[in-house]
Amino acid sequence: MNNPIVRRELIGTLRKPNVAALQVAWMAVLAVVMILRWPVNGHVNLAGTQAQQVLSLLSWTILVGVMLVAPAFPAASVVAEKRSGTLALLLNSPLSTAAIFRGKLIGALGLPLLLMLLTIPAMTACFAMGGVSLLHQVLLLYLVFILVALESAAVGLYVSIRANNVDSAIRLTYAVLFVLDLLVLIPYRLVANTQIPSLVNLGRWLASFSSLPAILHILGTNSIHAGNSINGGNAVIVRFVICSLALSVLSGLLSIRRLGQWLFDRPRDSGKITDDRSTKVRAYRRIMYLWFFDPQRRSGLIGPLSNPVMVKEFRTSRFGRSHWMMRLVGICLMVSLGLMLAAAYGSISFNPRTLGELMVLFQVTLIVLITPSLASGLISSEIQNKTWQLLRVTPLSATTIVLGKLLSVCRTLLLLLLATLPGYAVMLVIDKGQADRVVTVLITLGIIALFCLLVSSAISSWFRKTAQATAVSYALLLAIFGGTLVFWAGRGTLFSLSLVADILKFNPLAAALSTIHAPGFNDYNFVRTNWCFMLVAMGIATVILIFRTWRLTRPE
Amino acid sequence: MSDPAVVETVALTKRYGDFTALDALSIRLEKGQILGFIGPNGAGKTTTIKILVGLSRPTSGRAAINGVDCTAEARKIKHFVGYMPDTFGSYDNMRVREYLDFFGAAFKIPRHQRQDRINASLAITGATHMADLYVESLSHGMKQRVAIARTLLHDPPVLILDEPANGLDPAARVEMREILLNLAQSGKTLIVTSHILPELARICNMVAIMTHGKLRAFGTLDQIMQDVRHQRMIEIQLLSEEDVVQAAEILRQHLGPTVAVTESLSELMVRFNTTGNEQSLALALQRLVSAQVRVSQFREMQQDLEDAFLSVTQEPQSEMAAQEVQA
Repeated sequence: MNNPIVRRELIGTLRKPNVAALQVAWMAVLAVVMILRWPVNGHVNLAGTQAQQVLSLLSWTILVGVMLVAPAFPAASVVAEKRSGTLALLLNSPLSTAAIFRGKLIGALGLPLLLMLLTIPAMTACFAMGGVSLLHQVLLLYLVFILVALESAAVGLYVSIRANNVDSAIRLTYAVLFVLDLLVLIPYRLVANTQIPSLVNLGRWLASFSSLPAILHILGTNSIHAGNSINGGNAVIVRFVICSLALSVLSGLLSIRRLGQWLFDRPRDSGKITDDRSTKVRAYRRIMYLWFFDPQRRSGLIGPLSNPVMVKEFRTSRFGRSHWMMRLVGICLMVSLGLMLAAAYGSISFNPRTLGELMVLFQVTLIVLITPSLASGLISSEIQNKTWQLLRVTPLSATTIVLGKLLSVCRTLLLLLLATLPGYAVMLVIDKGQADRVVTVLITLGIIALFCLLVSSAISSWFRKTAQATAVSYALLLAIFGGTLVFWAGRGTLFSLSLVADILKFNPLAAALSTIHAPGFNDYNFVRTNWCFMLVAMGIATVILIFRTWRLTRPE
Repeated sequence: MSDPAVVETVALTKRYGDFTALDALSIRLEKGQILGFIGPNGAGKTTTIKILVGLSRPTSGRAAINGVDCTAEARKIKHFVGYMPDTFGSYDNMRVREYLDFFGAAFKIPRHQRQDRINASLAITGATHMADLYVESLSHGMKQRVAIARTLLHDPPVLILDEPANGLDPAARVEMREILLNLAQSGKTLIVTSHILPELARICNMVAIMTHGKLRAFGTLDQIMQDVRHQRMIEIQLLSEEDVVQAAEILRQHLGPTVAVTESLSELMVRFNTTGNEQSLALALQRLVSAQVRVSQFREMQQDLEDAFLSVTQEPQSEMAAQEVQA
């Protein structure tokens, strides 16, 4: 191992106590997964049905594990060194930028590969049950897992090089990978039924950036985008390998190009303010930015009735600044209007329910992705940046601080939800009978937003580092919103219907989808139970948040 | 009759379990005084400051600012103190003017007065030209100025500044000194901690030296120096390392175990503090010369705050050493 960075990264990662805990937890999860579907009556199905079921559950578990773990360390890796000043030392050493990147990449792959190694006993047991192909299933699955880890690490490193702080790097990396793993599947679904081959092909290639079709194909389930038009064989896997490798190589090249001495070669902000510039420039910027959204506009003083913490949060958080906020709202509006247009022109055979399903999925995804990024740093970032003690020496009470912080996120979430409302308007125009359902869905979405906000804020108050708070918030919310859907995916085969129904009661997304009668959720009716769950969880989160904030503000 | 105390602590004590971070600290400061609060790391300076600004509760004793109890009326005390911690604490994406506006609003400065207060604070600290810059893009020296401007916003009678000159270049240090002196002249009482003792000596009229949670010396700079002057610091320059070792041995035998004799082989120097008179010093020199030690210089050092600090902080160790020897 000639590259000293590999050694340092590997040792640095594996030395962390939480990595040891992660390995233990991982082994426990694998054990539970095996026990869940292991034949207990001593009979093994010769057709291999049980083995396939175990393989399926095990594969999804490994995939989720790799997806969650692989990006975390590379995403923090470079930006943390940049902030602590050690990146400058590395760049000043005789190591080339390619060697630094290579060292970081191999180091980042260490943990996911270790976790994969730990799955070998479980996979071997599954293979020993019979009915599982070593070459066409087990090895191909590991190939996909390794590529997912490689892709996550390469993308994470690139984001880390570009980011300015650890928590934003982690957030952005997970957001990019979320797009690459899930959102890229949507275009194919939209164009699959059109008769335009080039469009279908484009959608198929775009979907190949996700590992899900490849996994589904290996497990023998109908691929999301293979459908009836796949050219048979392992075309899905080949496309995924090509896309994944291409993305990894591209990320690597871009990272190496950017990772240089000039990474630090940035001039200090000159503090240009539109108000102080020439009349011509002033007039131009005021027209272009509609005055209010000009980032270089001199902002007014905080009003007498405003909560200063809330205004401070608006000014410091990325989506709090009006020009950033408007970009986000603009994207939401465009997506919402796109769905409206699609429905209006009938280019896709959507009925109001399908449109509703897409709207709910879109909004819940937005809430789950954006809320932790806004709320999980509310308290922890103040502690991390040493500004908490500055707040403590002001006369602001704990209530004012908490209220200001929560309100700042509420405004952003409210604007986001409002921006997607036109889609529901179209639904109601098409079918007025949906009004009650739409109202219930909107109430559910509002509660979901508050639920995510309070849970993330409560988590934020427990951590001293925003990156940790963000990771825990995402992990918890993804477990609630996405993890429980794994049971739904295996309903009737891996899990009994009653167990799935019981578990889905805790999934707010499932509640919203059942309200809108989305396919697969028509039979459930647990929106009230879910509201109760969320309200209780919100109550607990609020108590934790207030208690922790009070503890942090009172004299030691 | 002396002026009323602006800052007063009486037998202020803070314990964390068995560990005593602050042991019966009693100090008193009047309007316009600048207190240089010095001591090694872990001496109890930050603990004292935290109690004064209402961030920590004492285990016993009392601290008051302008007669208001720092513990019982922690909320009220915040209006009387401007606190600048040793870390700046910046927010991303915030311009200096917005940063100060936020803290101004947090201190409930009415909107119609706030702009004037911001401008005045920036002017006092020479930071007016930074108003539209982003806080995170400021250099260390610029941040120190903005941090002081922040403490001045609500016009508190007492300023507590933790290491204000830390990391500043010489020119910025001179400017910082002038800012602090101007603030004291305007009637503010300042408590300044710093490890740059010559810098403190130039601005402080009161000094408190702490070690291990205990106040070792407190008074005006002149009083402290007088206390220290009863000890004379002698420095002996020698010609070789052998001479240094031999000289140190002879002096230890001559001066006894209560006097700490330090030797520096790299400087070819031996130093010691003594309360002895001219005759005893002459005798020490005579011993060295008669032992064939080659002495090139034998001189008494002029003492400053740094020496006073070293003298005070080394006392307990030498006392302990003496006790150990007696035992």
